Amino acid sequence: MPGLNTSLNISVQALMAEQGALNVTTNNIANVSTPGYTREVPILSEAATIQEGSVRFGGGVTMQQFQSVRDQLLQLRMYEETQQQNNSQTQLNSLTQIESLFSDPTQGIGGAMTAFFNSLSQLSTNPTDNSARQQVLTTANNLAISFHQAVSGLGTIQSDLDQSVPQVVNQINQLTKQIATLNGQVAQMQGLGQEPGTVQDQRDQLITQLSALVNVSVTQSEHGLTLTTANGVPLVVANQSFDLQTSNNTNGFADVVAQGQDITTQITGGKLAGVINIRDQVIPDLLNRLDTLANQFETSFNTQHQAGFDLSGNAGGNFFTPPTAVAGSAADFGVAITDPSLIAASSDGSAGSNGNVAQLIGVRDQDLPAGAKPLDMFSNLVLQVGTLGSNAKSDSDAAGMSLQQVSDQIGAVSGVSLDEETTNMIRYQRAYQAAARVITTVNSMYDTLLSMGLGG
Amino acid sequence: MRVNPDMSGDLVAEIWRTQEQQQTSLLEMSTGKRVNKPSDDPLAAAQMVANSDHSARTDQYLHNVDTLTGQLQTADSALSSVVSAITRAISLGVQGSTGTVSDANRQQIAQDLAGIQSQILSLANTEVSGTFLFGGTESTTPPFTLDSTSPTGVVYNGNDQTNTVQIADGLNVKTNMPGSQLFQGPTANVFGSLQQLIIALQTGSTSDAETATNALRDAFDGLTGQRIFYGNTVNQLNSTQTFLQQEKVSLSSQATTLIGADLTKSATDLTRAQTAYSATLAAAAKILPTSLLDYLE
Repeated sequence: MPGLNTSLNISVQALMAEQGALNVTTNNIANVSTPGYTREVPILSEAATIQEGSVRFGGGVTMQQFQSVRDQLLQLRMYEETQQQNNSQTQLNSLTQIESLFSDPTQGIGGAMTAFFNSLSQLSTNPTDNSARQQVLTTANNLAISFHQAVSGLGTIQSDLDQSVPQVVNQINQLTKQIATLNGQVAQMQGLGQEPGTVQDQRDQLITQLSALVNVSVTQSEHGLTLTTANGVPLVVANQSFDLQTSNNTNGFADVVAQGQDITTQITGGKLAGVINIRDQVIPDLLNRLDTLANQFETSFNTQHQAGFDLSGNAGGNFFTPPTAVAGSAADFGVAITDPSLIAASSDGSAGSNGNVAQLIGVRDQDLPAGAKPLDMFSNLVLQVGTLGSNAKSDSDAAGMSLQQVSDQIGAVSGVSLDEETTNMIRYQRAYQAAARVITTVNSMYDTLLSMGLGG
Repeated sequence: MRVNPDMSGDLVAEIWRTQEQQQTSLLEMSTGKRVNKPSDDPLAAAQMVANSDHSARTDQYLHNVDTLTGQLQTADSALSSVVSAITRAISLGVQGSTGTVSDANRQQIAQDLAGIQSQILSLANTEVSGTFLFGGTESTTPPFTLDSTSPTGVVYNGNDQTNTVQIADGLNVKTNMPGSQLFQGPTANVFGSLQQLIIALQTGSTSDAETATNALRDAFDGLTGQRIFYGNTVNQLNSTQTFLQQEKVSLSSQATTLIGADLTKSATDLTRAQTAYSATLAAAAKILPTSLLDYLE
């Protein structure tokens, strides 16, 4: 026959278990707004049965442990989406800056080119007029300035991006150090059979932050997580981290190096990928387009200019500073003459002839060696800038939505619901009250026994 | 099914999205443009480069038309004065060719004709802001100078070249006639026949004067015929101006089609975005503060 002590023991155990469960709930409620917090649930289980005489009684309840409710697969998707989203967001930010250089069709290179040819058209109505000649030089210089502005605008964006590479690499190195430490702790706790919830939350948060910077692949091994980046280069293995370095390449830009291996072109995710793509692909392509346009335009115009005669009847010289290599042509775009009388408007050497002006204007309507008219080459560039910007915008929007979706899915599994916690709190409170009531009841049963003068 | 208990992320994202839509619609309405940067519509932005080039080019053509109209009208009015002067010279020539006129009178007439000669000379040297209109493309020096040793009484310093100016895409007009052609043509030589008449009156016979007067008549016919060029070109400039103005209108309407905002649509979009924004805020205000705790004591 079971004694009253057994009931007391079961009740006390129940009190402890419910209080433990209440602690878990309290911790959940306390962390309701902690980013990256994964809710925990108490694991209550029946205690071992007690044999008393011929009867086996239930032994009550124990709270063995608590467990974090997480879905590792969703977490991995979170990393991937974060990489994607930060990559396209970074590109979008830079492209917004870039396209502001080419936004107004009446300004910039296009507008300046139009104004230049219009000044030539004006000159054709009065080829000996000094102010009309001066106007041609003025608009030519404006065209040079607009080329310079586009190049320097792109150059500034490019060098700003370049400067951010070592900063991002530095952040990556700091994160991988912290992740390695936490990774070691998680493995250690798991080895001891403890729930590493809090440490794991912190580690996952840091991996998400790392994913915002660079592409990371996460694999699980017995020693914890292994993080690798481009080309399988390890960043974190167990409790050890591996730093990335930067080294300047021949263009003077910072390359990303991992253990002696240049991985710059293999970085495909996170902010770093966006920065590198704009710095090494998008801007060089635009600069090359500008250089090609400047180079071929100056050369064609000079050739035609040399076919004419200036106001004094001398054969025309170079109108623009003759470009040499294609690279740098846009930055070096310049007008070779300052004396308006040197403009070779005449086709036969007579001062009042405008015959060569029409030929010079003709440069506008002829294909350059690149296969398009000068202004069309420029509008193709605008098209390219616009297309890149519009693609980056939709990529970024789509990635943002995917990220939000994954984050909702993770929240659905791991997020703290106050309603749920409140419900649990009431449940545990009621259970605690009931167990306490049992103790009171046992107590009064003891009183009854004692007042009978008999031992239990 | 368990859902994400923290709705703030979704709500904030929705608030941003509706705010962005409002901003877009507002920008469209305030600028009147649907395409405010190349990424709004890359193709339209690229086409706008060509459109604004055409538009500015058309403005320049209109400007060219104005400048040329002025030049050509000045030339035409100079030639009109030359024609009146020749008419006067012809009637003086007819007077001088009659047998009844005295020698003294013939000398007087010859002197009057010399006056007309220098008047025509000055008209043939008409200049507009440093450009001599009748010197071909040698337009920086006076095309005609007096020279009594020349059979025509003058020397031509210009050339036989003409200029053309573009006044529309693919349309060029000749803007001048060289003085050699106007005043010294092979069959109609103004200066030659005038000089011939003066010499005939001074030293020649009545029939010489009559021949010279007839030559002057031919020169008159020739010049009048050539002068039509100026009138025709001015007419062409006028009709091109009308065409260019229409072109401007059509380019501007093309630009509106390319990048202009449909204001009705923008306004509707704005209203829709505003409604969505208010609805999101209202939902947020209702959902966020609510929890089971509100219903417990």
